[in-house]
Amino acid sequence: MIQLTEVTKAFDDGFVALSNVTLKIDKGEFAFVVGPSGAGKSTLIKLLFREQLVSSGEIIVNGRDLSALQPQEIPYFRRSLGIVFQDFRLLPEKNCYDNVAFAMRVVEASRRDIQRQVRHVLEMVGLLPKAKIYPAQLSGGEQQRVAIARAIVNNPAVLIADEPTGNLDPDTSWDTMKIFERINLTGTTILMVTHDKPIVDQMMKRVIALENGRVIRDESRGAYGYED
Amino acid sequence: MKISTAEYFVTESLNSIRRNGLMSMASLMTVALSLLILGVFMILVMNLNHMASILESQVQVTVYLQDTLKETEVLEMGTRITRLPGVTRVNFVSKEEALNRFKIRLGEQQGLLSELGEANPLPNSFEVKVDRPDRVKPLALAIAQLKGVEAARYGQEVVDQLFGLTRMVRIFGVVLIIFLGLAALFIIVNTIRLTVFARRREIGIMKYVGATDWFIRWPFIIEGILLGGLGAFIAVVLLTQFYSMLTRQVYESLAFLPLLPKYPLMGYVNSFLIFAGCGIGVLGSMISVKKFLKV
Repeated sequence: MIQLTEVTKAFDDGFVALSNVTLKIDKGEFAFVVGPSGAGKSTLIKLLFREQLVSSGEIIVNGRDLSALQPQEIPYFRRSLGIVFQDFRLLPEKNCYDNVAFAMRVVEASRRDIQRQVRHVLEMVGLLPKAKIYPAQLSGGEQQRVAIARAIVNNPAVLIADEPTGNLDPDTSWDTMKIFERINLTGTTILMVTHDKPIVDQMMKRVIALENGRVIRDESRGAYGYED
Repeated sequence: MKISTAEYFVTESLNSIRRNGLMSMASLMTVALSLLILGVFMILVMNLNHMASILESQVQVTVYLQDTLKETEVLEMGTRITRLPGVTRVNFVSKEEALNRFKIRLGEQQGLLSELGEANPLPNSFEVKVDRPDRVKPLALAIAQLKGVEAARYGQEVVDQLFGLTRMVRIFGVVLIIFLGLAALFIIVNTIRLTVFARRREIGIMKYVGATDWFIRWPFIIEGILLGGLGAFIAVVLLTQFYSMLTRQVYESLAFLPLLPKYPLMGYVNSFLIFAGCGIGVLGSMISVKKFLKV
């Protein structure tokens, strides 16, 4: 599903964000990526989204070799991925429903599919009753659930989450993690970058630890392993 | 493209025009003004060209004869000119007839001529009709060489001056149009950049969920077309009014001035202006949105 082979990403100024990383995440897996700031986590996400290209090595996501992807193929490739950000990135002038529907509209889904699918995912994250409400009137946890609904509305094979609980209190974080787990159970591969030690420790999922651009630990049922 | 998608694009672009009311108004007016000036120059150049070609097509050489010529010599000269290649008709205008024509042209100011007394300063002349415009010049030169000919005049001198004027107007117009076009483009770029900037987060999310660049561009392009096209429309309306008034005035008081009729001239000018307005709009929006597509 996601396969990195000897991936190195160096920038023009000489900074090496990822160095010789080899990694394989299977379909349906749930994996945490942990590590201190500057370890290369954000770069990893940018590479997976083909926002940036590897300097050397190979990345295959959903069967596509990202280095061989033509610029005009990138949007279609991205439709097989979903992303959730730490800061939610909802559009304040659109209500919950439209924030989610927006993701389907831009891939030119039919009006009927949009209606059905948006209701379905809002129901899944427990926000169907608040469909007409605007993001500003929602709690942080609710906003993040809308963002999750938006990320999965196009049925991506892989869901990438960039510190999704970073702005949430512990209880809300747990609720959010339960939603991710439920999504994972439907067969969606989840890759979650996080600093949330209690969550990593209790979820008992695969943990990939990065430091200085290298994989220093990769355990199938791991713990956070840092004190930060 | 699906109808619902097209609907979405149009709604989005109308929304951003409304949100940026003042700036949109400013770019609309700049486009209108620039295109109006462009239109005025087009009309001017086309009319000057038209006048020049009318003059150019007048195939006549006027041959002035020396007063020393005897009557038989004048007759002989007439036959010689008639035999020249390209000459279709030769018409003799005597000194007296020339003076009469001159009097008629002076109209009420004929009194001026009384100063002359009995003397008639005008020469005998021939009006020589030529079959083709391009033969006028060599023929005039040939006739001028004949013994007893004072001078041979034709319309070309005026035509040359007119073409010179047209060329200058055209150069000046092109320079002005380039500047005005750039100004219009610049302000459209800035107006649309404001909307693009206001929606950069949205564009970022669109890129992440897999919207194509064209899908992201379309609403901005429509916005550009609306601004440029509406600006052009304003210019077209004003310009058409202006030309109607101008032609009416000229026909009433300066009837000899051969202005081009309103149609088809305004048809060409107007469709060109609309096309240019929309073109500036599209170009402007493409430039504004370019930077924000790199995600």
